[in-house]
Amino acid sequence: MMQTAIRISHVTKVYRTPFRRRATVALRDLNLEIAPGEVYGLLGPNGSGKSTTLKIILGLISATRGSVTIFGRDNSVVAARREIGFLPENAYFHKFLTGAETLRFHAKLSGLPRSETRARVDELLATVGLTDARNARLSTYSKGMLQRIGLAQALIHNPKLLVLDEPTAGVDPAGSRDIQDLIASLRNRGTTVLLSSHLLTQVQEVCDRVGILHRGRLLREGPLQGLLSIENQTELVLENASPDLLDGLEQQIASTSARLIARRKAQASLEQLFLHVTESTEE
Amino acid sequence: MIASLRRIRAIAGTTLIELARLRVFYVLVLFALVLIVSSTFLARISFQQELQVTKDISLGAINFFLSLLAIVATAQLLPRDIEDRVVYSVLAKPVPRFEYILGKFLGVLGLLALSLATMSVLCLVVLHLREQSALQEANRQVTQLAPDQLSSTLRSIHMAGINRDLIAAVVLVLAKSAILAAATLCISAFATSNIFTITAMAMVYLIGHLESIAREYWLEHAAGWVTRTFLAVVAFIFPDLQAFNISDQVIGGIPIPAHLIVQLLGLTTFYVLSYILLATAIFYQREL
Repeated sequence: MMQTAIRISHVTKVYRTPFRRRATVALRDLNLEIAPGEVYGLLGPNGSGKSTTLKIILGLISATRGSVTIFGRDNSVVAARREIGFLPENAYFHKFLTGAETLRFHAKLSGLPRSETRARVDELLATVGLTDARNARLSTYSKGMLQRIGLAQALIHNPKLLVLDEPTAGVDPAGSRDIQDLIASLRNRGTTVLLSSHLLTQVQEVCDRVGILHRGRLLREGPLQGLLSIENQTELVLENASPDLLDGLEQQIASTSARLIARRKAQASLEQLFLHVTESTEE
Repeated sequence: MIASLRRIRAIAGTTLIELARLRVFYVLVLFALVLIVSSTFLARISFQQELQVTKDISLGAINFFLSLLAIVATAQLLPRDIEDRVVYSVLAKPVPRFEYILGKFLGVLGLLALSLATMSVLCLVVLHLREQSALQEANRQVTQLAPDQLSSTLRSIHMAGINRDLIAAVVLVLAKSAILAAATLCISAFATSNIFTITAMAMVYLIGHLESIAREYWLEHAAGWVTRTFLAVVAFIFPDLQAFNISDQVIGGIPIPAHLIVQLLGLTTFYVLSYILLATAIFYQREL
């Protein structure tokens, strides 16, 4: 039997404020399983419990009830975190360190052998496009650069599971596209990715499965295709279709019990337009 | 999981870099100014008194600045890491919380040791120069002094200058600062602001320096079991910081028994370990 990457069983989290009677229930009886090699998107509005779920998985906070396992190990065991890379939301890291120093520091924390550290740091700085900024202190980095160095530190020990909290927050569309491409390449290499995001189109592009959290409850969960498809509707996208062909199709549809809902030009997304315009200007 | 020295060293090293790059070393410049300015304007009564006053000012300044550094530098470490979310990326790695606390403490200890070494060298240089000038002057007056009078003068100058007990006094200043740093880390493990930590530590500092006087007074005037229990609890929780202050004996030329130094270093180990363990226990319970 294949071991699950993450198993969350009946997790409830209640935050109690000292000297106050009222408690806040952040998660209610959450059950979730993520398979190895899967890219899973956790969606939900602010305060829905996304960050709480990620923090419980990482052992930064403890669940009031329930249990979590990472590749079969209880998440409270420190060794379970050997397999995890984590990018926190709006991470700042040590501003007084340079990019290369930051990666070397996290390599030591992750237990990466000394002999491999140098090559790995160089490789990751190149992967996230920060080779030129390797000796600049993080206090001089832009938001997008910080996010990229954050991603590099999460990947430093080649983790089997990558947890990303709002990975594209504050990143421009080109940087955001790079991160999405990186996630796709990690999936191809068999890395499991759990990400939380507000940006639905990005989640749609990279995730195999999604879960929608609201007020601490998992309202919907499943493969993206299954969740998004409308059972009784079909979409046809044609290239170089003549007006005569389209009129003919419309007439044929009208002679049946089916109903044509819309006939329009296929449209690019705003992100595709932005990337096309900016990339062609650079060329 | 067995503790990893490499991880602890990485956290301690980064903490030391953090404190160094925050320019806390400016306090050392202030120390140098205090020392140079005060020793320049010293009224010369006799060689011995001049050396004694220089030693008094130096030890007092080292004690004050190192205690200040221990409290102020440590107070901001945990809140800053939590506020900047650095703690998330560190603890999401296979880093047990006790390694994190220990690494932070060792980083501060490194800073204190470096600062103390700098201040001590400066102090020793000033004392050495004063001692040499006193010896030269005594030698110049050699014709006016009887031989036994001259050797007695030279002996008093040597005793008032640099000696073994001066080094012991400096080591005890470091021991006291280590206790203060560990106590500060313990309070900051549950505190929500730096101001709270620093205020609480100011109280600990005050209690630590006054408890021996209070103990003496109360035991003399009201020695009931309630008072005795209360005093025992206070003495257990708060270290007697005044006991670490041996500068009066050092300046007065009273020899410091070796067993006293060993006892005080033992006490330091006990309090540092207790505070670090308590800080770790509190930090394990903290929701990040």
